[in-house]
Amino acid sequence: MRKLQAIGRRIGGRLLSSVPAILGVVILTFLLMRVLPGDPAVFFASGPSAGQQEIEDLRKQMGLDQPVPVQLVRYLQDIATGNLGRSMTTGQPVLTDMQQRLPASLELTFSALFLALACALPLGILAALRPGSAVDHVVRFLCTLGVCMPTFVSGLLLIYAFYYLLGWAPDPTGRIDIFASAPPEITGFLLFDFAVTGDLEGFRAAFSQLILPACTMALFVLAPLARMTRASMLAVLGSDFIRTARSIGLAPWRVILVYALRNALLPVLTIAGIVFSTMLGANVLVEKVFSWPGVASYALDALLASDYAPVQGFVLLMATIFVLVNLLVDILYGLADPRIAAE
Amino acid sequence: MDLTRRQSLLALTALAAPAGIALPAGAQPAASRAETLRQVTGNAVNTLDPTMPGSTREAFGISMNVYDRLVAFGRRQVDGNWVFDHTVIRGELAERFETSADGLKITLHLRKDARWHDGTPVTAEDVKWSLDRAVSAKSLAGPQFTTGSLTKPEQFRIAGPGVIEVLLDKPDRLALSNLAVPYAIMINSKLARQHATAEDPWAQSWLQNNTAASGAYRIDTYRPGVQVTLTRNEDWKGGAEGLPFFRRIILQTVPEAATRANLVERGDADLSIDLQASDITALETRGKVKVASIPQTNGFTHISFNTQVAPFDNVKVRQAIAAALPYDSMFKAALFGRGRPLFGGTFTGQPASADFPQPMPLKQDVERARALLAEAGLASGFSTPFAFSAGQAATAEPLAALVQEALGRIGIKVEIQKMPDAQFNTLVAEKKLNFYTDAGTAWLPATYYFFYLYFTRDQRWNFASWNNPRITELSNAARFETDQAAYDAACREMIGILAEQVPLLMLWQPNMDAVMAANLRDFTYQFYRQVDFRDLKRA
Repeated sequence: MRKLQAIGRRIGGRLLSSVPAILGVVILTFLLMRVLPGDPAVFFASGPSAGQQEIEDLRKQMGLDQPVPVQLVRYLQDIATGNLGRSMTTGQPVLTDMQQRLPASLELTFSALFLALACALPLGILAALRPGSAVDHVVRFLCTLGVCMPTFVSGLLLIYAFYYLLGWAPDPTGRIDIFASAPPEITGFLLFDFAVTGDLEGFRAAFSQLILPACTMALFVLAPLARMTRASMLAVLGSDFIRTARSIGLAPWRVILVYALRNALLPVLTIAGIVFSTMLGANVLVEKVFSWPGVASYALDALLASDYAPVQGFVLLMATIFVLVNLLVDILYGLADPRIAAE
Repeated sequence: MDLTRRQSLLALTALAAPAGIALPAGAQPAASRAETLRQVTGNAVNTLDPTMPGSTREAFGISMNVYDRLVAFGRRQVDGNWVFDHTVIRGELAERFETSADGLKITLHLRKDARWHDGTPVTAEDVKWSLDRAVSAKSLAGPQFTTGSLTKPEQFRIAGPGVIEVLLDKPDRLALSNLAVPYAIMINSKLARQHATAEDPWAQSWLQNNTAASGAYRIDTYRPGVQVTLTRNEDWKGGAEGLPFFRRIILQTVPEAATRANLVERGDADLSIDLQASDITALETRGKVKVASIPQTNGFTHISFNTQVAPFDNVKVRQAIAAALPYDSMFKAALFGRGRPLFGGTFTGQPASADFPQPMPLKQDVERARALLAEAGLASGFSTPFAFSAGQAATAEPLAALVQEALGRIGIKVEIQKMPDAQFNTLVAEKKLNFYTDAGTAWLPATYYFFYLYFTRDQRWNFASWNNPRITELSNAARFETDQAAYDAACREMIGILAEQVPLLMLWQPNMDAVMAANLRDFTYQFYRQVDFRDLKRA
């Protein structure tokens, strides 16, 4: 009981201490957007007959006629009441857009991270067990390839091969076959929703749409995960307790998976946390190439149009997710290494 | 008891049967793939009400298919392709209309059998409300309607059941045409008014995400920024050729141009009008798809000078640059020749035709350019930035490189500036760019309208900030000129002045390349540069 309380206190403390950071990010983004050249009112009043009057009206409607400090105070008030403003690019409240698009991004990122970890851990362990061997070189080659190839190139290549030439993959547009009926709207995570409603056909369709973009992203983050696993395993495998374990005749798999891997996981967890946050924001190219209706491409479109509200909302969302992921990683540390939780 | 296999099957069938019968009553059978049209585009629909500030071109396109206007433009065939014809106006929601002899009154008779999507009849009150909304609400419709001298609700009068009169102070040439533009939507006022509030008397926020229309298609699903699906309105009466062929339309946003090209070539999508020029040539040679290449007859790409700022305020400098540029190479490098040149015209003084845009007398003559520059007192040249927006980089980048090279030869040093779209648009609107390339389109391609919109007044679309009193006088007079010969004369004089003063250099009209499945036909180039699904058919 006391332990649970301690954990709860720690989580609360961490969340509280992240508030100033988030506030700072919000204000910085707010100011940055206004410093950038480009007037959203001019951009959006660019109809064939829109004149100066329309630009002025739009500026007023968006609250841009006020001095910047006044705008900032209003914006902070709005955030406090859960109103993130309205996007001019989609015409919808930013909160609604985010709610619809975040599950798409999360589903893609989780799948890609899972795929990447599922490949990177075995590869990293194999490479660490036989450093300098052919296996090690193959893993290094794979990682280099994954990192060197920009995601839009690997994405387009995969599309070209598996959709255009072979015809194995469905057309790379969005999360579900466009001609199929609409998916059930429960959580927004299609795989989960289809599984819950028992719609196997739908699950298969959603899965086949997901596999190419997930592979593209997994390929990109394979390198940091596999290399970190390898380095960390190498260090642990050379330590005294492993030598002891081996000398007393424990099964090799037990030595590697139970004693070595668990101790080597800490840096991998840290990297996985960072990789996850980066993927969520940086998968914009994958989202664009696969017409994936996620938050990153949404924010980029808004940025190109100088549409303030969605960009600010996106940054706020990313900052929050980053804080939560870091918290989660810290909790996982405790599971991997009880010494840290006890502190 | 032992169940035989047959008995179990029977039992299963009995269980399954009610599920089969329980189809929703009155539901239409789903549209087949052949009756479904899937268009992929790089942009997105952001509102269902096209009059909202910021509405995208795709939003205009959807609204043309979902809302009826009182009248519609006809179409004609040019070089085997259908192109809209603004000189032929037919009734859409109106069955017929007549204009009084003095041109001051337009009487429109509504179709007796016209129904809103909810089944209620279309009344003159609805039409009056819609027209009042266009001129009263704060939207893009107001400024557009002023170009047809439609400015206040008093000009729209109900003259009996199903009859509406439009009253004008002066016989404006474009009053009727303005009733055919995307902004002139006819709204089910009873439905819309249920969602009006004290601050929003014209139901603008509700109509952004909902429709109250009577057009050929209904909105089925609307997911902003992702896709819009439409189903055919089986009771639609407004078409020139009856019901549209396609029963279901999917307009999907696919940001990556290469993916769009793949989709159309593989036959998974039927149509795209925004592919890259390089992809289009490749698609054409492989020959699996059909490409309709139609010059955008109501648009123009140009190089503009700021005529209020030195050295471009000197007409000799502008003429020198006009004579220095390699128009043919620019046309080939930027567009691969896919368009209609607006350079290389042969007239001197005034042209024979009053049409605009038409090829202007622009051709490369480097000796003349040098001489003109010397006359302007700038024989040693000068240096200037040349700007374009990132969104147009595919065509503007090669163009800019050629401009830089050609002007370098007469001593003008050009620094190329590529800017993000939002920044570029802001600088154009603020008149802070002195030498740049951009493009314009006029919905209503009447010659005087082009001049009024692009070459007069201190406003954003006067690209060159040109202030020529004679042009102002002529364009204002031509607007209300009822005598065709006098109108044509005024137009020819304006074109002549433009050719001599070169406030901007007309370059070309790029083609709209509609890439479509080989069995699609009757694609029409529309003035709003989107797809009219009502005309399309699958052979």
